[in-house]
Amino acid sequence: MQRINLGEFEELVLLIVAILNDNAYGISVMEEIENQTGRKVNISAVHSALDRLESKDFLKSEVGGATNERGGRRKRFFTVTVAGNKALNFVREQRNRLHEQIPNIDFGLNQYASI
Amino acid sequence: MPQFDHEPPKWALWFLQLYCKPRVREIIEGDAYELFYKRVETEGLKVAKRKFGWDVLRFFRPKYIKGLEDINSLNNIVMFKNYFKISVRSLVRQKFYSIINISGLSLGLAACLLIMLYITNELSYDNFHKDVDRIYRIANNQSGQYTPARLGAQSKMEFPEIEEVVRLTGPYDQTFKVNNQIFKESEGFTADSTFHKIFTVQFLEGNPDQALTEPNSIVLTESLAVKLFPNKEAYGELITVSGNSLKVTGVVADPPKNTHFHYNFIESFPHESWITVGNWTGNNFFTYAKLVAGATPESVEARYPDFVAKYVGPDLVQYTGHTSYEEYLAEGGRQGTFTLKPMKDLHLYYPHMALGSQGNINNVYIFSAVAVFILLIASINFMNLSTARSAARSKEVGMRKVLGSRRTQLVYQFLVESMMISVLAMILSMGLASLVLGGFNELANRNFSYTDLLAPSTLFLLFGLVLIVGLLAGSYPAFYLSGFNPLRALKGENKAGGGNVFLRKGLVAFQFAISIFLIISTMIVFSQLRFMGQQKLGFQPEQIMVVKNTGLLREKLSAFKNQLLQKPNIESLTLTNQYVSSRIADWGYSTVEDNPRSFNLMNMFTTDDFLETMGLELVEGRFYSNDLASDSAVAVINESAKKELGFENVIGKKVSRGDGADYTIVGVVKDFNYESLKRSIEPLILRRMFEDGRMEADWYGGNYLSLKVTGNFGETVKQVESEWNAMVQDEPFDFVFLDDSFNSLYEEERRFGKLFTVSSGLAIAIACLGLFALAAFTLERRRKEIAVRKVIGASVKSLTMLVVSDFTKLVVIGALIAIPVGYWIMQDWLATFAYQININNPLLFVVPVVLVSVIAWLTVGFQSVKTATSNPVKALRSE
Repeated sequence: MQRINLGEFEELVLLIVAILNDNAYGISVMEEIENQTGRKVNISAVHSALDRLESKDFLKSEVGGATNERGGRRKRFFTVTVAGNKALNFVREQRNRLHEQIPNIDFGLNQYASI
Repeated sequence: MPQFDHEPPKWALWFLQLYCKPRVREIIEGDAYELFYKRVETEGLKVAKRKFGWDVLRFFRPKYIKGLEDINSLNNIVMFKNYFKISVRSLVRQKFYSIINISGLSLGLAACLLIMLYITNELSYDNFHKDVDRIYRIANNQSGQYTPARLGAQSKMEFPEIEEVVRLTGPYDQTFKVNNQIFKESEGFTADSTFHKIFTVQFLEGNPDQALTEPNSIVLTESLAVKLFPNKEAYGELITVSGNSLKVTGVVADPPKNTHFHYNFIESFPHESWITVGNWTGNNFFTYAKLVAGATPESVEARYPDFVAKYVGPDLVQYTGHTSYEEYLAEGGRQGTFTLKPMKDLHLYYPHMALGSQGNINNVYIFSAVAVFILLIASINFMNLSTARSAARSKEVGMRKVLGSRRTQLVYQFLVESMMISVLAMILSMGLASLVLGGFNELANRNFSYTDLLAPSTLFLLFGLVLIVGLLAGSYPAFYLSGFNPLRALKGENKAGGGNVFLRKGLVAFQFAISIFLIISTMIVFSQLRFMGQQKLGFQPEQIMVVKNTGLLREKLSAFKNQLLQKPNIESLTLTNQYVSSRIADWGYSTVEDNPRSFNLMNMFTTDDFLETMGLELVEGRFYSNDLASDSAVAVINESAKKELGFENVIGKKVSRGDGADYTIVGVVKDFNYESLKRSIEPLILRRMFEDGRMEADWYGGNYLSLKVTGNFGETVKQVESEWNAMVQDEPFDFVFLDDSFNSLYEEERRFGKLFTVSSGLAIAIACLGLFALAAFTLERRRKEIAVRKVIGASVKSLTMLVVSDFTKLVVIGALIAIPVGYWIMQDWLATFAYQININNPLLFVVPVVLVSVIAWLTVGFQSVKTATSNPVKALRSE
């Protein structure tokens, strides 16, 4: 079986970058993660994940223009590469396939399905 | 936008700038700023600043840190792994050299480790006292340990610089009776109630401020309290000491081992008058003073001459019979003063003023020198073997260079290798040191435990030492080997033997020099000890047995003496206030003539059988006799005293103690050594003690009974002991034979001798290891040369001589260095003895040189013969 090297947090970051489309940089990714999942993460963790994803060629980045809100410093915008898209799709398909195979037994509580 | 006017904390920005790679800094900074401005609006400036700092700290990750360039660092780690692997391989392949290297170095390091332990301990003495820098011991004149009773209190009153004073006497032994059980305890002191204000003591029971204020109070250390009063609180209990009851007013934690006076118990002064008045002429107390912060000891010392004139002067004038202190000075009387010695120097620099600790700054120096010597020898082995083996490694160096190794990398490689050897040696040395710790304790007269040995501070020092040794010993081979020209190295053109031959030979000669020097020192120390043992003392010390504490016999004294005299083994006995070889005090006397001159004479009170018991020879006159009633104010002096007094005809002359009573000199005894042979025979005056032990002014002084014994000593001791036990209940029998007592005076010298024996043995062993390996190596290089010589017709003998004479030259060079140095240093050491061996005896220097030569010949010769007798075909067939 083909294996995609993508951690849980990395996957989340990758998805967020895909969602944010043209406006994905450190802060926006961090805020979007918090908005979407309620998960509070430190900016350095986001940077680290973005760097890792870039070194895996799932993301590419370019430096944008300077803005006042950053004290004149430039932003680094990330976009998902073709490989990144493929990886997302692969993970998603794999998950769906596995989910569909869960026998439809009702345990009374549906907790296990949400893992 | 007002929030942009705020700035994040400066330190965080500075820190970021410091560590962050420039490539990513702008982005990180940008994000951090953006978050900061947002937080200023939503959460306030303070929180924003704090969080900015936290963010910066969280960015401190290897990925963003400057200098840790990913690709490069990986490569370096791999290279280090490779160096490590190669080092292990070369160690394993050359087992012989590796074992010699590591074992020599670990021997040296073990010696160093123990000596470091000793030295750090010596230097830590008394440092645990609070404000130790402000605590001084007041010395009488320059270094007299005893000071007048009044000195402390008066000084504190007169001098604003002095914050507090305390007086001590001791150490003494005391026999305690608790619930009808007898305990003989040593290391007791008597002290003023200010004891705890000078010294740092931790009271477990009792009030420090009131513990020693009342007479008949005693403070016990925890261990003594537990011993005397097991399972109960000692505070408030009573202890009986020779009829008196002492109340336990405090229990203190045991003092640490590293203090210049170690006490088991402290008693208060028995009489009020000792505390409040006290005189100026009797020097019986140790005085300590604590200065106020900022005061210098010099300022106090400067005040003392006037102080002495004011208070001590009147007493001195009365005692010497002058009309005024000025007249006393004008007639050559010595102007007294007091000096301040820092308390933390007492242990090492003024050991005679320390109360029981036996420190010596010279020992610290000597031990350090020995450690350095041994380590030097081991390091020299290390360097020699590494460079000698370099030829074998030259191809490896050449290959590495061809493949692109830079010189620094090669240096690293060899340093890694030497560090590895030294770390291995360090681990071994710790094992070795713990094995010999017991022997070392005996040698150094200390009590170190394994926990001391493995204390972090010691290990830290050891590790530092290992780093230094590894770097020093490894640097020469590293720089030498890494400098090879790769082309020549690969062609095998490096000259045979490799390395700088001169340097290597010089180092070996240096090793020989150290070995010879150490053996010379050992021989001189032991000859001196033997010389002192054989020196005629003027009497037979092995025949004299001294029974101590005879003062406790009181009215049973004469019965005891009579019982003993009936024993066939006891020829005669004499009662004295001090015994020969113990500490004898000097008393001031002046002659009775128109211009009285004063002298200090060693003073002993004896009964009239002293002459007979000790077996002394009378030179002039007669000894005093108990049968003559007129002999109460007479004295006998020794020849030195006669010389000191300077009378042509000394019999009949009178000396005075200044209190009206004059003593007529009736006889002169031949000089005999009543003290350590380190000192020459000092002037002695013998005064009459009555049969019942009374001496001057009816004081009781018969504390020691010396017996002249013959026959079986063990049996005699038993007989005397049973008599003692029949008459004295509360005091165990205590005795000493004078020859043992004299021998114990040379304990320090004997230890010195042992230290030199051990260290010279160790030095020679390590040097031999190195020599052995070096010889093996040299012979291996010269195998073909020797084979060719043999084929042409050289004999085994001449071939062996060829190699051996090379090494003999080095021994000679070593001897040329060692003999003058040894002569000079040992002459200095001998100068401390009044009776010395003749250091110009050539045997003292020739024997060590011959010994080292023989060892070197044996080490080298064995291998030379082996090579010389082997079949030359084997060496030559490959050509």
